Amino acid sequence: MPWFRADLHLHSCLSPCGDLECSPSAIAATAKERGIALAALTDHNSALNCPAFAEACRRNRVAALFGMEVTSREEVHLLCLFETVAQALEMGQVLYAALANIPNRPETFGDQVYVDIDEVILGTVDKHLTAAVSYSADEINDLVLARGGLFIPAHIDRAVTSMQSQLGFLPEGNYHAVEVLRSPCSLDTGGYTQICDSDAHFLDDIASRWFEFEADVPDFSGLKEALARGAIRLSIDW
Amino acid sequence: MKTSDLGTALGYEPVQQDYTDREISSGYTSDLLSDVMANAAENCVLVTIQAHKNTIAVSSMAGISAIVICNSRPLPEDMIQAAAGEQIALFLTEKNQFTVSGEIYNRLKTE
Ligand SMILES: [Zn+2]
Ligand SMILES: [Zn+2]
Repeated sequence: MPWFRADLHLHSCLSPCGDLECSPSAIAATAKERGIALAALTDHNSALNCPAFAEACRRNRVAALFGMEVTSREEVHLLCLFETVAQALEMGQVLYAALANIPNRPETFGDQVYVDIDEVILGTVDKHLTAAVSYSADEINDLVLARGGLFIPAHIDRAVTSMQSQLGFLPEGNYHAVEVLRSPCSLDTGGYTQICDSDAHFLDDIASRWFEFEADVPDFSGLKEALARGAIRLSIDW
Repeated sequence: MKTSDLGTALGYEPVQQDYTDREISSGYTSDLLSDVMANAAENCVLVTIQAHKNTIAVSSMAGISAIVICNSRPLPEDMIQAAAGEQIALFLTEKNQFTVSGEIYNRLKTE
Protein backbone atom coordinates (compact mmCIF):
# COMPACT_ATOMS: atom_id res chain seq x y z
CA MET A 1 0.00 0.00 0.00
CA PRO A 2 1.30 3.50 -0.77
CA TRP A 3 2.12 6.15 1.83
CA PHE A 4 0.62 9.64 1.61
CA ARG A 5 1.84 12.85 3.19
CA ALA A 6 -0.64 14.87 5.27
CA ASP A 7 -0.75 18.24 7.05
CA LEU A 8 -4.03 18.41 8.96
CA HIS A 9 -3.58 21.61 10.96
CA LEU A 10 -3.63 24.75 8.82
CA HIS A 11 -4.93 28.25 9.55
CA SER A 12 -6.23 30.74 6.98
CA CYS A 13 -6.95 34.47 7.00
CA LEU A 14 -10.09 33.64 9.00
CA SER A 15 -7.97 33.01 12.10
CA PRO A 16 -7.15 36.35 13.71
CA CYS A 17 -3.56 35.17 14.17
CA GLY A 18 -3.40 33.89 10.58
CA ASP A 19 -1.66 35.91 7.87
CA LEU A 20 -4.01 37.71 5.44
CA GLU A 21 -2.04 36.10 2.59
CA CYS A 22 -3.29 32.71 3.79
CA SER A 23 -6.27 32.50 1.47
CA PRO A 24 -7.73 29.03 0.88
CA SER A 25 -6.41 29.14 -2.72
CA ALA A 26 -2.89 30.05 -1.65
CA ILE A 27 -2.89 27.36 1.06
CA ALA A 28 -4.01 24.66 -1.37
CA ALA A 29 -1.42 25.68 -3.99
CA THR A 30 1.38 25.76 -1.39
CA ALA A 31 0.37 22.39 0.06
CA LYS A 32 0.44 20.87 -3.45
CA GLU A 33 3.86 22.40 -4.14
CA ARG A 34 5.22 20.85 -0.94
CA GLY A 35 4.03 17.34 -1.66
CA ILE A 36 1.01 17.24 0.66
CA ALA A 37 -1.55 14.67 -0.54
CA LEU A 38 -4.14 15.31 2.18
CA ALA A 39 -4.65 18.73 3.79
CA ALA A 40 -7.14 19.98 6.37
CA LEU A 41 -8.22 23.56 7.04
CA THR A 42 -8.59 24.11 10.79
CA ASP A 43 -9.28 27.71 11.69
CA HIS A 44 -10.08 28.57 15.29
CA ASN A 45 -13.69 27.58 16.07
CA SER A 46 -14.90 28.21 12.50
CA ALA A 47 -15.18 26.45 9.14
CA LEU A 48 -16.28 29.45 7.08
CA ASN A 49 -13.28 29.26 4.74
CA CYS A 50 -13.85 25.56 4.02
CA PRO A 51 -16.10 26.01 0.94
CA ALA A 52 -13.34 27.95 -0.84
CA PHE A 53 -10.72 25.51 0.48
CA ALA A 54 -12.67 22.56 -0.97
CA GLU A 55 -12.75 24.15 -4.42
CA ALA A 56 -9.09 25.21 -4.24
CA CYS A 57 -8.00 21.70 -3.26
CA ARG A 58 -10.05 20.21 -6.11
CA ARG A 59 -8.30 22.52 -8.59
CA ASN A 60 -4.88 21.69 -7.14
CA ARG A 61 -5.61 17.95 -6.88
CA VAL A 62 -4.99 17.82 -3.16
CA ALA A 63 -7.35 15.67 -1.10
CA ALA A 64 -9.01 17.72 1.64
CA LEU A 65 -10.62 17.43 5.05
CA PHE A 66 -12.69 20.17 6.66
CA GLY A 67 -12.97 21.27 10.21
CA MET A 68 -11.69 23.55 12.90
CA GLU A 69 -9.43 23.84 15.93
CA VAL A 70 -11.83 24.22 18.83
CA THR A 71 -10.92 26.00 22.08
CA SER A 72 -12.70 24.05 24.83
CA ARG A 73 -13.87 25.53 28.14
CA GLU A 74 -10.61 24.20 29.61
CA GLU A 75 -8.89 26.36 26.94
CA VAL A 76 -7.44 23.24 25.34
CA HIS A 77 -7.11 23.21 21.53
CA LEU A 78 -8.78 20.28 19.78
CA LEU A 79 -8.75 19.36 16.08
CA CYS A 80 -12.16 18.32 14.70
CA LEU A 81 -12.05 16.98 11.13
CA PHE A 82 -14.89 16.07 8.80
CA GLU A 83 -15.26 14.42 5.41
CA THR A 84 -17.58 17.06 3.95
CA VAL A 85 -17.81 20.84 3.98
CA ALA A 86 -21.47 20.62 5.05
CA GLN A 87 -20.57 18.65 8.20
CA ALA A 88 -17.87 21.17 9.09
CA LEU A 89 -20.16 24.16 8.53
CA GLU A 90 -22.91 22.65 10.68
CA MET A 91 -20.43 21.92 13.49
CA GLY A 92 -19.17 25.50 13.07
CA GLN A 93 -22.68 26.84 13.72
CA VAL A 94 -23.00 24.77 16.90
CA LEU A 95 -19.64 26.10 18.08
CA TYR A 96 -20.32 29.73 17.19
CA ALA A 97 -23.50 29.67 19.31
CA ALA A 98 -21.41 28.38 22.23
CA LEU A 99 -18.49 30.77 21.69
CA ALA A 100 -17.89 33.44 24.34
CA ASN A 101 -19.34 36.74 23.16
CA ILE A 102 -16.13 38.77 22.93
CA PRO A 103 -16.15 41.13 19.92
CA ASN A 104 -13.02 40.83 17.79
CA ARG A 105 -10.79 43.91 17.71
CA PRO A 106 -8.94 43.59 14.38
CA GLU A 107 -6.35 46.23 15.37
CA THR A 108 -5.39 44.14 18.43
CA PHE A 109 -6.05 40.54 17.41
CA GLY A 110 -6.02 40.65 13.60
CA ASP A 111 -8.69 40.29 10.94
CA GLN A 112 -11.20 37.44 10.71
CA VAL A 113 -12.28 37.34 7.08
CA TYR A 114 -13.70 34.57 4.95
CA VAL A 115 -13.22 34.63 1.23
CA ASP A 116 -14.10 32.88 -2.01
CA ILE A 117 -11.84 30.95 -4.35
CA ASP A 118 -10.69 34.24 -5.97
CA GLU A 119 -9.79 35.81 -2.60
CA VAL A 120 -12.78 38.15 -2.69
CA ILE A 121 -13.86 38.90 0.89
CA LEU A 122 -17.32 37.46 1.56
CA GLY A 123 -17.61 38.62 5.15
CA THR A 124 -16.01 39.14 8.54
CA VAL A 125 -16.75 37.31 11.78
CA ASP A 126 -17.81 39.44 14.77
CA LYS A 127 -16.97 37.31 17.82
CA HIS A 128 -13.27 36.84 18.60
CA LEU A 129 -12.62 33.34 17.27
CA THR A 130 -9.79 32.18 19.51
CA ALA A 131 -11.95 32.56 22.65
CA ALA A 132 -13.31 29.45 24.37
CA VAL A 133 -16.62 27.75 23.68
CA SER A 134 -18.75 26.66 26.64
CA TYR A 135 -18.32 22.93 25.89
CA SER A 136 -15.73 20.82 27.70
CA ALA A 137 -13.22 18.74 25.75
CA ASP A 138 -15.34 15.66 26.52
CA GLU A 139 -18.49 17.28 25.17
CA ILE A 140 -16.72 18.38 21.99
CA ASN A 141 -15.42 14.83 21.59
CA ASP A 142 -19.04 13.59 21.72
CA LEU A 143 -20.28 16.27 19.27
CA VAL A 144 -17.62 15.22 16.74
CA LEU A 145 -18.28 11.48 17.12
CA ALA A 146 -22.03 12.06 16.72
CA ARG A 147 -21.25 13.73 13.37
CA GLY A 148 -18.90 11.02 12.18
CA GLY A 149 -15.79 13.19 12.39
CA LEU A 150 -12.25 12.67 13.63
CA PHE A 151 -11.29 14.07 17.04
CA ILE A 152 -7.61 14.81 17.71
CA PRO A 153 -6.34 16.85 20.70
CA ALA A 154 -3.96 19.44 19.16
CA HIS A 155 -0.28 19.96 20.04
CA ILE A 156 -0.76 18.16 23.36
CA ASP A 157 2.81 18.97 24.47
CA ARG A 158 2.71 22.72 23.74
CA ALA A 159 3.45 25.25 26.52
CA VAL A 160 0.05 26.95 26.10
CA THR A 161 -3.53 25.91 25.23
CA SER A 162 -2.69 22.19 25.34
CA MET A 163 -3.64 19.17 27.42
CA GLN A 164 -0.20 19.49 29.01
CA SER A 165 -0.47 23.20 29.88
CA GLN A 166 -4.14 23.29 30.91
CA LEU A 167 -4.58 19.93 32.61
CA GLY A 168 -1.10 18.55 33.12
CA PHE A 169 -2.11 15.15 31.76
CA LEU A 170 -3.94 13.55 28.85
CA PRO A 171 -7.36 12.38 30.05
CA GLU A 172 -8.85 9.27 28.44
CA GLY A 173 -11.11 9.98 25.47
CA ASN A 174 -12.37 8.68 22.16
CA TYR A 175 -9.41 10.13 20.28
CA HIS A 176 -8.59 9.03 16.74
CA ALA A 177 -5.06 10.31 17.39
CA VAL A 178 -3.17 12.94 19.36
CA GLU A 179 -1.09 15.66 17.70
CA VAL A 180 2.41 16.17 19.11
CA LEU A 181 5.08 18.81 18.55
CA ARG A 182 8.07 16.71 19.59
CA SER A 183 9.01 13.09 19.46
CA PRO A 184 9.26 11.43 21.89
CA CYS A 185 6.40 13.43 23.41
CA SER A 186 7.04 14.83 26.91
CA LEU A 187 3.46 14.01 27.92
CA ASP A 188 2.28 10.41 28.41
CA THR A 189 0.33 9.79 25.18
CA GLY A 190 -1.61 6.91 26.68
CA GLY A 191 -1.05 4.64 23.69
CA TYR A 192 -3.02 6.82 21.25
CA THR A 193 -1.70 7.08 17.69
CA GLN A 194 0.46 10.18 17.26
CA ILE A 195 0.47 12.60 14.34
CA CYS A 196 2.29 15.89 13.79
CA ASP A 197 1.28 18.87 11.65
CA SER A 198 2.63 22.31 10.81
CA ASP A 199 -0.08 24.41 12.57
CA ALA A 200 0.86 26.96 9.89
CA HIS A 201 -0.39 30.53 10.29
CA PHE A 202 1.82 31.70 7.37
CA LEU A 203 2.19 30.20 3.88
CA ASP A 204 5.89 29.66 4.52
CA ASP A 205 5.18 27.30 7.42
CA ILE A 206 2.89 24.91 5.55
CA ALA A 207 4.30 21.37 5.69
CA SER A 208 7.09 22.44 8.06
CA ARG A 209 5.86 19.38 10.01
CA TRP A 210 3.83 16.56 8.41
CA PHE A 211 3.10 12.87 8.80
CA GLU A 212 2.60 10.03 6.35
CA PHE A 213 -0.13 7.40 6.48
CA GLU A 214 -0.48 4.11 4.65
CA ALA A 215 -3.69 3.72 2.64
CA ASP A 216 -5.11 2.78 -0.74
CA VAL A 217 -6.49 6.27 -1.25
CA PRO A 218 -5.56 9.50 0.61
CA ASP A 219 -9.10 10.25 1.77
CA PHE A 220 -11.10 10.40 5.02
CA SER A 221 -11.64 6.62 5.27
CA GLY A 222 -8.06 5.81 4.29
CA LEU A 223 -6.77 8.16 6.97
CA LYS A 224 -9.22 6.89 9.60
CA GLU A 225 -8.14 3.28 9.02
CA ALA A 226 -4.44 4.17 9.03
CA LEU A 227 -4.86 6.05 12.34
CA ALA A 228 -6.66 3.04 13.85
CA ARG A 229 -3.88 0.69 12.65
CA GLY A 230 -1.14 3.10 13.68
CA ALA A 231 0.24 3.03 10.12
CA ILE A 232 1.75 6.48 10.59
CA ARG A 233 5.24 7.96 10.36
CA LEU A 234 6.16 11.44 11.57
CA SER A 235 8.41 14.04 9.92
CA ILE A 236 9.86 14.84 13.33
CA ASP A 237 11.12 11.25 13.65
CA TRP A 238 13.06 11.38 10.34
CA MET B 1 -10.96 26.65 59.37
CA LYS B 2 -13.04 23.59 58.57
CA THR B 3 -14.10 22.77 55.01
CA SER B 4 -17.73 23.39 55.97
CA ASP B 5 -16.84 26.95 57.09
CA LEU B 6 -16.57 27.87 53.40
CA GLY B 7 -20.36 27.55 53.36
CA THR B 8 -21.42 28.47 56.90
CA ALA B 9 -18.92 31.28 57.60
CA LEU B 10 -18.03 32.64 54.17
CA GLY B 11 -21.38 32.06 52.50
CA TYR B 12 -20.37 30.14 49.39
CA GLU B 13 -23.10 27.90 48.04
CA PRO B 14 -22.43 24.23 48.87
CA VAL B 15 -22.96 22.15 45.72
CA GLN B 16 -21.45 18.83 46.71
CA GLN B 17 -21.48 17.95 50.41
CA ASP B 18 -20.35 14.35 50.38
CA TYR B 19 -16.94 14.89 52.04
CA THR B 20 -15.02 14.53 55.29
CA ASP B 21 -15.03 17.88 57.11
CA ARG B 22 -11.26 18.29 57.34
CA GLU B 23 -9.17 21.17 58.66
CA ILE B 24 -8.05 23.51 55.85
CA SER B 25 -4.77 25.28 56.44
CA SER B 26 -4.08 27.00 53.13
CA GLY B 27 -5.50 27.99 49.79
CA TYR B 28 -4.37 28.10 46.16
CA THR B 29 -5.79 30.26 43.38
CA SER B 30 -5.19 29.30 39.76
CA ASP B 31 -6.97 28.59 36.50
CA LEU B 32 -4.19 26.46 35.07
CA LEU B 33 -4.62 22.91 36.30
CA SER B 34 -1.04 21.96 35.43
CA ASP B 35 0.04 24.76 37.78
CA VAL B 36 -2.38 23.54 40.46
CA MET B 37 -0.95 20.06 40.21
CA ALA B 38 2.61 21.35 40.55
CA ASN B 39 2.10 23.91 43.34
CA ALA B 40 -1.06 23.43 45.41
CA ALA B 41 -0.49 22.15 48.95
CA GLU B 42 -2.29 19.10 50.31
CA ASN B 43 -5.58 19.70 52.16
CA CYS B 44 -5.90 23.17 50.70
CA VAL B 45 -8.91 24.90 49.16
CA LEU B 46 -8.65 25.61 45.42
CA VAL B 47 -10.12 28.88 44.11
CA THR B 48 -10.74 28.71 40.36
CA ILE B 49 -13.14 29.22 37.45
CA GLN B 50 -12.24 25.89 35.82
CA ALA B 51 -15.66 24.25 36.08
CA HIS B 52 -15.31 20.80 34.50
CA LYS B 53 -14.60 17.30 35.69
CA ASN B 54 -10.85 17.39 34.95
CA THR B 55 -10.57 19.90 37.82
CA ILE B 56 -11.74 17.09 40.11
CA ALA B 57 -9.19 14.65 38.66
CA VAL B 58 -6.36 17.10 39.26
CA SER B 59 -7.63 18.04 42.75
CA SER B 60 -7.81 14.41 43.70
CA MET B 61 -4.21 13.83 42.58
CA ALA B 62 -3.03 16.94 44.45
CA GLY B 63 -4.93 16.02 47.65
CA ILE B 64 -7.10 19.16 47.57
CA SER B 65 -9.99 19.13 50.10
CA ALA B 66 -12.33 21.72 48.63
CA ILE B 67 -12.93 23.75 45.48
CA VAL B 68 -14.62 27.14 45.24
CA ILE B 69 -15.83 27.90 41.69
CA CYS B 70 -16.05 31.66 41.11
CA ASN B 71 -18.07 33.99 38.85
CA SER B 72 -21.14 31.70 39.05
CA ARG B 73 -19.66 29.47 36.35
CA PRO B 74 -22.18 26.72 35.53
CA LEU B 75 -21.17 23.37 37.03
CA PRO B 76 -21.64 20.37 34.74
CA GLU B 77 -23.36 17.36 36.30
CA ASP B 78 -20.40 15.05 35.57
CA MET B 79 -18.16 17.40 37.57
CA ILE B 80 -20.47 17.30 40.61
CA GLN B 81 -20.64 13.51 40.40
CA ALA B 82 -16.87 13.21 40.08
CA ALA B 83 -16.46 15.43 43.17
CA ALA B 84 -18.83 13.20 45.14
CA GLY B 85 -16.89 10.15 44.00
CA GLU B 86 -13.62 11.71 45.18
CA GLN B 87 -15.12 13.14 48.41
CA ILE B 88 -14.08 16.66 47.44
CA ALA B 89 -16.26 19.53 48.67
CA LEU B 90 -17.55 21.82 45.94
CA PHE B 91 -18.77 25.39 46.45
CA LEU B 92 -20.07 28.02 44.05
CA THR B 93 -20.05 31.81 44.37
CA GLU B 94 -20.79 34.83 42.20
CA LYS B 95 -17.65 36.54 43.56
CA ASN B 96 -14.42 36.53 41.57
CA GLN B 97 -11.14 34.76 42.41
CA PHE B 98 -9.53 37.90 43.85
CA THR B 99 -12.34 38.53 46.34
CA VAL B 100 -12.70 34.88 47.35
CA SER B 101 -8.94 34.52 47.85
CA GLY B 102 -8.97 37.62 50.07
CA GLU B 103 -11.86 36.34 52.16
CA ILE B 104 -10.28 32.93 52.69
CA TYR B 105 -6.87 34.48 53.39
CA ASN B 106 -8.29 36.77 56.07
CA ARG B 107 -10.21 33.93 57.66
CA LEU B 108 -7.10 31.72 57.81
CA LYS B 109 -4.98 34.58 59.17
CA THR B 110 -7.26 35.23 62.17
CA GLU B 111 -7.00 31.61 63.33
ZN1 LIG C 1 -3.58 25.56 18.73
ZN1 LIG D 1 -3.59 25.92 15.37
